[in-house]
Amino acid sequence: MTHATATYPTIAVTPLLREIPVTARSDMRVPVRIYADDELWSQIVKDRSLEQAVNVATLPGVVGCVYAMPDVHEGYGFPVGGVAATRAADGVISPGGVGYDINCGVRLLASGLELEAVRPRLEAVVHELSRSIPSGPGRSPWLDLSVPELDRVLRDGCNYLLERELALPEDIPATEASGALPGADPARVSDKAKRRGHDQLGTIGSGNHFVEVQVVDEVFDPVAAAAYGLATGQLTVLIHTGSRGLGHQVCTDYVRRMDQVMADYGIHLPDRQLACAPLASPEGQAYFGAMCAAANFAWSNRQAITFSVRKAFGRAFGDAGRLHLVYDVAHNIAKLEEHAGQSLCVHRKGATRAFGPAHPETPVRYRAVGQPVFIPGSMGTASYVLAGTDAALALSFGSTCHGAGRVMSRGEAKRSRTGAEVRRELEARGIVVRCPSSGELAEEAPTAYKDVERVVDVVHRAGLARKVARLRPVGVVKG
Amino acid sequence: MTPLERDLPSHDLADHVSELRVRLRAGSHADLLAEAGRALAEIQLRGTPGGATGDWRRLEISAHDSAGLLADWLNELIFLAETERWVATEFDVEQVDGSSMRVRARGVTLDQAPGLVKAATLHGLRVDDAPGGVTGEVVLDL
Repeated sequence: MTHATATYPTIAVTPLLREIPVTARSDMRVPVRIYADDELWSQIVKDRSLEQAVNVATLPGVVGCVYAMPDVHEGYGFPVGGVAATRAADGVISPGGVGYDINCGVRLLASGLELEAVRPRLEAVVHELSRSIPSGPGRSPWLDLSVPELDRVLRDGCNYLLERELALPEDIPATEASGALPGADPARVSDKAKRRGHDQLGTIGSGNHFVEVQVVDEVFDPVAAAAYGLATGQLTVLIHTGSRGLGHQVCTDYVRRMDQVMADYGIHLPDRQLACAPLASPEGQAYFGAMCAAANFAWSNRQAITFSVRKAFGRAFGDAGRLHLVYDVAHNIAKLEEHAGQSLCVHRKGATRAFGPAHPETPVRYRAVGQPVFIPGSMGTASYVLAGTDAALALSFGSTCHGAGRVMSRGEAKRSRTGAEVRRELEARGIVVRCPSSGELAEEAPTAYKDVERVVDVVHRAGLARKVARLRPVGVVKG
Repeated sequence: MTPLERDLPSHDLADHVSELRVRLRAGSHADLLAEAGRALAEIQLRGTPGGATGDWRRLEISAHDSAGLLADWLNELIFLAETERWVATEFDVEQVDGSSMRVRARGVTLDQAPGLVKAATLHGLRVDDAPGGVTGEVVLDL
């Protein structure tokens, strides 16, 4: 079920960019800018995502514009596909502006294998991935962390997994923030969160999360593709998951805490889920420390899954199955960044950092072309590799979209198609599917999402990121 | 909404783009909270909850206000379901005031955690007095 949004006046800035001016509602502090073509715009106005973006524009200390990416859709509090930056010195931080699945993100592994050479063994490999990587509510069969071990993950992220020989040295610089945010404070993560997360490292979880075996279907930018180690026909693996129950509990804990103290800071908001506190306050600092720790847990989760994927490929293909990490990017996070001489807290909820060649945080090996960005499609549809642009800094605080974006609720999706129908369609297209249940397959049917190709086309034409390659799925392990 | 009939708690579930909205009505705050627990169990168990087994356990929750209490109550049940694979299905709310509750609950223990519901959000959260009782609404993150 969708709801019509409140009507706001819009200004067409360019054919792909509309603005809701700051005068549209009396409590707005900055304008809202939405990247979309006419078709995506017609979908965006059907839900409450614009109203939610306007609500975000009321946050104390928000600067520039609130941005909505072309895959924006209604969330709770903050829209999914939204970007908002607040002044670090006197602005707020909002757990709802990061989301429950802290550092949900995507990592891409590239093999030296060509699809046609391994097709006969593909089904066995996908089966092995589904067997060795727990999905749904499954717990890790091989990584049950003690409290001190979990604290190391929370503080040191992928560096701790490197110590445990679950990562390769070259994986660390190929992960956003080297897989460990320095502000992480395990002491700010509640015992409840730790109890939820201690046995979840190396697991996919549920919802739209997955491990997908893909083939590079088309290269649009040969120079960037070469820099990323990608070529047409090559087998790749895309991992999409986040911080599991641990991240959800961190968000739950701090939304609750900030909801209780907001009034003490004179903050009154149109939606309680936007609960926030000044970043510099004790509550803001506590959340930031916990959020960074949960982000480190999420990078470690994708790293632990990488370990399992590498083992499965090694068993199937020997040395030829070696997988190198292209990059790992977050799309639910708040980070301290410098923009135009200001120190800002950039909230990206369902939005991906997309820094260009000139940015100092772009990995050295990608400085000629820009940071890799991965945009997963819906289950069974193409995913995209993009490159960050320097122009995006001024256009969107260096951010781009994160996926296709839902247009249909899970219930609607299940009523419109059966899981068996979805499975048959995917298999008819040569895609091997492993999923805990048929109902969950139906929830993630491609028809429940926007057209990822259109979303990517808009960010490419708007200059938020540059198309590099398209990846076609050949095997799906669904969460 | 029509006037409420006391002692007839009920709930319905509505799609919410990628999540689930639970609408509640009951004759009292205590019944509303118990009904919220039953609604959650129905979602987690993917159907009408079966018979509870085992001992009653006592849970105490406190919050900022009555709507916050609804969210905190559900979040406690979500936590127990994920960490103990225990889904509460029967509730005896012994005491409730504007911001705290004490409840006895019984339920079922599962082989695997019911991972469907991950959090109760504050988005659109409300508990309101209404003619004949109380209504409430909470959006669940799936």
